[in-house]
Amino acid sequence: MSDTSTAPKKSGGIRDLGKMFGGTSSAGRQFGILGALIVIIVLFQVLTGGKTLDPNNLINIINGNAYVLVLAVGMVMVIVAGHIDLSVGSVAAFVGIVVAQSMFIWNVPWPVAMVIGLALGAIVGAWQGWWVAYMGVPAFIVTLAGMLFFRGANQFVGNSTTIPVPRDFTFIGGGFLPDPDLGIPFNVPTLILGLLVAAAVVWQEVRLRRNQRRMGAESAPVWVSGVKVGVLLAVVVFATYLFASGRVGTSYPIAGIILGVLVLGYSFLTNNTTIGRHVYAVGGNWRAAELSGVNIRRVNFFVMANMSVLAAVAGMLWIARSVSSGPGDGVGWELDAIAAVFIGGAAVSGGIGTVAGSIVGGLVIAVLNNGLQLLSVGADLVQMIKGLVLLLAVGIDVYSKRQGRPSLIGRMTRRRTTGGDAGDAPQGTQTPTPSQGGAAETARPSDLTPQG
Amino acid sequence: MSMKKFVVASASIAAVAALTLAGCSSRADTGNGGEEEAAGFAADATIGVALPDKTSENWVLAGDLFTNGLEEAGFTADVQYAPASNTVAEQQNQITSMVTNGAEVIIIGAKDGAQLSAQVEAARDAGATVIAYDRLILNTDAVDYYLAFDNFKVGELQGQALLDGLAAAYPDKDTYNIELFAGSPDDNNAGVFFDGAMSVLQPKIDDGTLTVVSGQTEFDQVVTQGWLAANAQSRMDTLLAGNYQGTDLDGVLSPNDTLARAIIESTRSAGKPLPVVTGQDSEVESVKSIVAGEQYMTIYKDTRALVAAAIDMVKELQAGDEPSGINNTEDYDNGVKVVPSYLLDPVVVTKENAADVYADDENLAPLTQG
Repeated sequence: MSDTSTAPKKSGGIRDLGKMFGGTSSAGRQFGILGALIVIIVLFQVLTGGKTLDPNNLINIINGNAYVLVLAVGMVMVIVAGHIDLSVGSVAAFVGIVVAQSMFIWNVPWPVAMVIGLALGAIVGAWQGWWVAYMGVPAFIVTLAGMLFFRGANQFVGNSTTIPVPRDFTFIGGGFLPDPDLGIPFNVPTLILGLLVAAAVVWQEVRLRRNQRRMGAESAPVWVSGVKVGVLLAVVVFATYLFASGRVGTSYPIAGIILGVLVLGYSFLTNNTTIGRHVYAVGGNWRAAELSGVNIRRVNFFVMANMSVLAAVAGMLWIARSVSSGPGDGVGWELDAIAAVFIGGAAVSGGIGTVAGSIVGGLVIAVLNNGLQLLSVGADLVQMIKGLVLLLAVGIDVYSKRQGRPSLIGRMTRRRTTGGDAGDAPQGTQTPTPSQGGAAETARPSDLTPQG
Repeated sequence: MSMKKFVVASASIAAVAALTLAGCSSRADTGNGGEEEAAGFAADATIGVALPDKTSENWVLAGDLFTNGLEEAGFTADVQYAPASNTVAEQQNQITSMVTNGAEVIIIGAKDGAQLSAQVEAARDAGATVIAYDRLILNTDAVDYYLAFDNFKVGELQGQALLDGLAAAYPDKDTYNIELFAGSPDDNNAGVFFDGAMSVLQPKIDDGTLTVVSGQTEFDQVVTQGWLAANAQSRMDTLLAGNYQGTDLDGVLSPNDTLARAIIESTRSAGKPLPVVTGQDSEVESVKSIVAGEQYMTIYKDTRALVAAAIDMVKELQAGDEPSGINNTEDYDNGVKVVPSYLLDPVVVTKENAADVYADDENLAPLTQG
């Protein structure tokens, strides 16, 4: 059980709950962006009379924003490494038009077209990565040039017209899992998916406690773990129920599954692999990282190339959703992705940020957008509100860091004892996992262990 | 574990479990899955209107007219404009929001008619009727009706007016130098206007009466991306510099007023004499220009008539009837089906008849006096 010398006082049951979120005082102030997401969802649920959490509306939110969230997954690594990528929208549009043309005009079967799209993304990424990593041109310039170049290339290839996409391809952007009629009023594959996620959540917590016991580290009391798992399970169950009870024929959308796989994969990559750790090291202090033996050129090349591949994925998700590729695609997507990443807690100077955080940030913008549209607020006001939200979100995060207390996201990603959960339910449940972050702004060379 | 902690723990888990199970109902059967049945719908139903932008006065006027007209007819109006950036994505989201809000009829002025197929089909599946307003929605069978002014006729009127204007302005010439402009390639209407105009002008080009000095006569050579004035102005600058150093430009086919004014500005700054320029939309600045003798003609497509026709269609659908104004069921093939269309007639306006045509338009009538 808990080591009594470091456990809170016996009567501090509620304080243990606060410890779950990483703060020993006023957990409210530390609630950060995740709390903001929950507040926004509840607010719009009330304002729209229950339509925000309508299953079909949630499906629309996922389908309508999957492409931006995929971009945010790649963008967070770029920003953590200390760079920026302004070309993602243009690259996505360029890959989109090439894939659309290949299927529509040259009659390439869609799996081959997907491979072509990914390969094209990799080539573009290698090109931009080479300029940034090996030629040393700042990423801002390389990707600004890329933005202009690929915007033009998109119009050159497509002749500025709209090219339709065959229907068998569109399932990745707007399709659903099969909906067999088994007599129960829910979509069965979604229920199975929810069950798997719930099982993963429980197993993660069990494994975490087992590891802690084995290492002799301090664990939170069992009941805290129980409550945490309980809350996460409740969220997973609720989300599963919502997604499974949409219109007949719908389920948790395939675009959401693709997004989920990417989020899980990249969370694992950034938290548990060497290359992920190197990305954070380069972002935190690249000179120190270089002296520690990190191959910074390879790291920079990797993040830039990876971003373009994800931009290709986003481009394909978009043309699948729109059933065509148009000349206006991709304009402004980079800014949406960057906003999502910063709202999710990344630092402008690099070194801080998580995949899960940027997904939460992206969902904040998505739910905000959706809620305002349900309320028929004009698009001009929506833009103004989005701008203010971005400013406030980052401002509050910077302010709370300045007070000496790291942000919630930073806390969650730092603590080994109460973190470690990788279950990712669609509505942005936190995935606090140990990684460099939080207040460790000045990374001591070769000391990458998180501060306790 | 102490009793207190146990109580707190189990109470919180129980509360959370209760929340999730509360309101467990059977599968939401939202919408009637495309019942074809003209059973009509409630008189205070939500009607969604998705407009593409505010760049042309027409759309701004249309938005206001829809809001007022629908509310007067007793419906709940949900009128939304797509923003200037990321327009197509936001328009898609606006349409799905209208479906979520339970709109029975969705009237769409598409920004890009070929990129809305999935959303329009989702609207149809939820039981809404989809009306394509002014711009045809392509590549899907989920569009129920198309309501617009006869755009092919607009093109024909523009072509004919150009010929008439050239004959009037240069009575002693029998061959004329012209240039051609078309609208944005992602707007289906741009092609229709151009085809209509060329149906009148091509025979004259073939028999030598008209010469396009730059040689640019194909649609994709003459398009103006995004219907932007800046693009038309820079293309005109290039054409003048490249082809008209020693030659005269007599006339320009311009698909709308915004581009016409940009073209006139370009000729003015190049120091060239004013050519005969066509237009469309009856925008305030162009009406002034016509009355002052600069732009030659425009087309009057009374937005009020179009909006009124749309609202009439909505009322008929509400009563459960088929719209009565459908007058063309052959021409508008959107790639998957021929969409039943309700076409209104456009009116040519030149300096001579401007006062009559605009007599009961409160914005434009004063401009034609004096």
